[in-house]
Amino acid sequence: MAPAAQHYTPAQATNGYEFSAGSGYRLPTYPFVAPPELATGQLKRHDIVIVGGGLAGLTLACALNQYGVRALLLDEDNSVGVKGASSRGICYAQKTLEIFKRLGIYERIAAKGVQWSVGRTFAGDDEVYSFDLRKQATHNVSEQPPFVNIQQFYVEGFLVEQLYDRQQSVGPEPVEGHAPASTSSARTLSESTIDLRWNNRVTAFSQNPNFATLSISTPAGDYTLEAAHVIDCTGARSPFRSWCQASVTAKKGDDRWCIADVRFKNPPPVERHTWIEAPFNEGRAVWQHLMADGVWRIDYQMRPDADPEEVSREEVVRQRINRQLGRNVPHDEYEIVWVGPYAYRSECLDQLRHGRVFFVGDAAHVVSPFGARGGNSGVQDADNLAWKLAAVSLGRAGSGLLDSYHHERHEAATHNVLVTNRTARFLRPADGAERLFRSAAISLAKRHPFARQLVNTGRMSTPNVYSRSPVCSPASGGKALQNIALQWADGSSGGVADLIAWANGRLLLLVFGSLSPAEARRLSALSASAQLRCVQVVSSSVQSTAKEHVVDTEGHLQHAAGGGRWALLRPDSYLVASGMRLDAVLIPAVRLATGGAA
Amino acid sequence: MTAHITTDLNFEDADAFYESLLDAHQGLSREQSESLNARLVLVLANQVGSTQALLACIKAAQASKDA
Repeated sequence: MAPAAQHYTPAQATNGYEFSAGSGYRLPTYPFVAPPELATGQLKRHDIVIVGGGLAGLTLACALNQYGVRALLLDEDNSVGVKGASSRGICYAQKTLEIFKRLGIYERIAAKGVQWSVGRTFAGDDEVYSFDLRKQATHNVSEQPPFVNIQQFYVEGFLVEQLYDRQQSVGPEPVEGHAPASTSSARTLSESTIDLRWNNRVTAFSQNPNFATLSISTPAGDYTLEAAHVIDCTGARSPFRSWCQASVTAKKGDDRWCIADVRFKNPPPVERHTWIEAPFNEGRAVWQHLMADGVWRIDYQMRPDADPEEVSREEVVRQRINRQLGRNVPHDEYEIVWVGPYAYRSECLDQLRHGRVFFVGDAAHVVSPFGARGGNSGVQDADNLAWKLAAVSLGRAGSGLLDSYHHERHEAATHNVLVTNRTARFLRPADGAERLFRSAAISLAKRHPFARQLVNTGRMSTPNVYSRSPVCSPASGGKALQNIALQWADGSSGGVADLIAWANGRLLLLVFGSLSPAEARRLSALSASAQLRCVQVVSSSVQSTAKEHVVDTEGHLQHAAGGGRWALLRPDSYLVASGMRLDAVLIPAVRLATGGAA
Repeated sequence: MTAHITTDLNFEDADAFYESLLDAHQGLSREQSESLNARLVLVLANQVGSTQALLACIKAAQASKDA
């Protein structure tokens, strides 16, 4: 029996949440089960303990579950979302959606969420420019769209349900329908490997070079456990930062905003509207975009000295909406789903690993919301760390591989801080030259396309490049590969994400074109000796000589993977390296990707 | 327009340029900022070189003047 299904308020299109003034959505709750340690009094050592069941922690748990690796997840609460809060992240970018595809929840997100294609940017009474994503010739080779808008708690709820579903399905895994046929690929996973512990709050921490000790408080009593790896997913107010004496590079501005999530009886057109200077908001910025359930997020920039309590009073919120719509809107024409004032800051830990502790998501870095780089980078942190933990845990890689988490995701976090700070500076320019240049950029943008690139209302989250990774080739690796469409040998369609799922935590060697008998022998020796999967990629089935092959009719995959004879792909869909010749260079590439121990 | 100038996107990295530009003005008085801008226009004009193109640039900037 899945407890989630009992308590989860069903997400129907008509009324998938309940709003009661001041308390926001009614969110699902999950059952507290007294931990066995309370009865036995035993001090247990766990390999992996995830602290925090938000977007990052749940993504990590789901990924480890797929790799068949055991982990404990401790959450201080018994729900998803923030208590009393509507939603944090609302926009999930392509790379994140590709990860969710692998984790099996993408279809639910796509069905529940919203996609838009028309965006309009205004300054004063004028439209500065508009775009229609459907009309842009950007060649999108991924199976996933550029983004989906959906409330964060839905995504978290889907991840939790995915974990509970696994607990239910005892027995052999369902046949992986579209994976290339291979008898050795059958997973032996028969139950969830994740122990979900709700209402378990970590109250103290210590560590030595071999393990950490956590003190945990629950409604049924307190206990202690040991962990070889602690994954801190506790968010921006992480207690582990001070427990580990982690140094933080931070920047704080005076920009203030106030969100009003509202649902109109007669909804406006499904377009994203952005005002850089809204006449109905004293010349400050306003964002308006749609989420699931017909809920619009309207985000108003406030005066820097605005009182957060005053600006979020219902009456004041309704006055703002009246000014925006240019009339006195009767109360029954829309409902206020949630109101939340906020300020933002940027923060990045200088080291994402401190001994046995790995910092993931907001615990590791905090950015302004512009460009949706918070939640998306948390999911991508988790996806980066999950396969490395699994590879080390299953003996496929040396423990040195774990250090690369810091190198890769710190570079990503630093980049996200840089990009979001630039947007913040455009939206809250200092008086004088900064404001002067912004006015110049806006007035030029109305007429000249080049200046639209200077109008910075947010740069959408894209996969970060790992240019300084110790486990990727600096010349040909460190780039994400999209979920490009493919055909299986039997003609049915699939994508790169399915191939990665088939490799199930192992490296994936893509070999392009036909193979000489000597090359075929070398590859089968390599896949027998190393922990990797090989697949031949051909432009038509006729060429195939390998048992496991896929068809890349247009050559999109080969092109994206570097255009050579081979490419080595990681479980997080990042390229380790690629090369022109199928020779001895493959062996050091595999060794590189596994932190020196292939 | 007499000469062809590009008003399509031509920046290698518009955001990086814009940031450097604002950084250059940080901490300057209004007079210092104006003077920096004037020098910058002349330096950039020399990069463009062509009289026809420069005249077209001046026209493009004039046409976008705030109402």
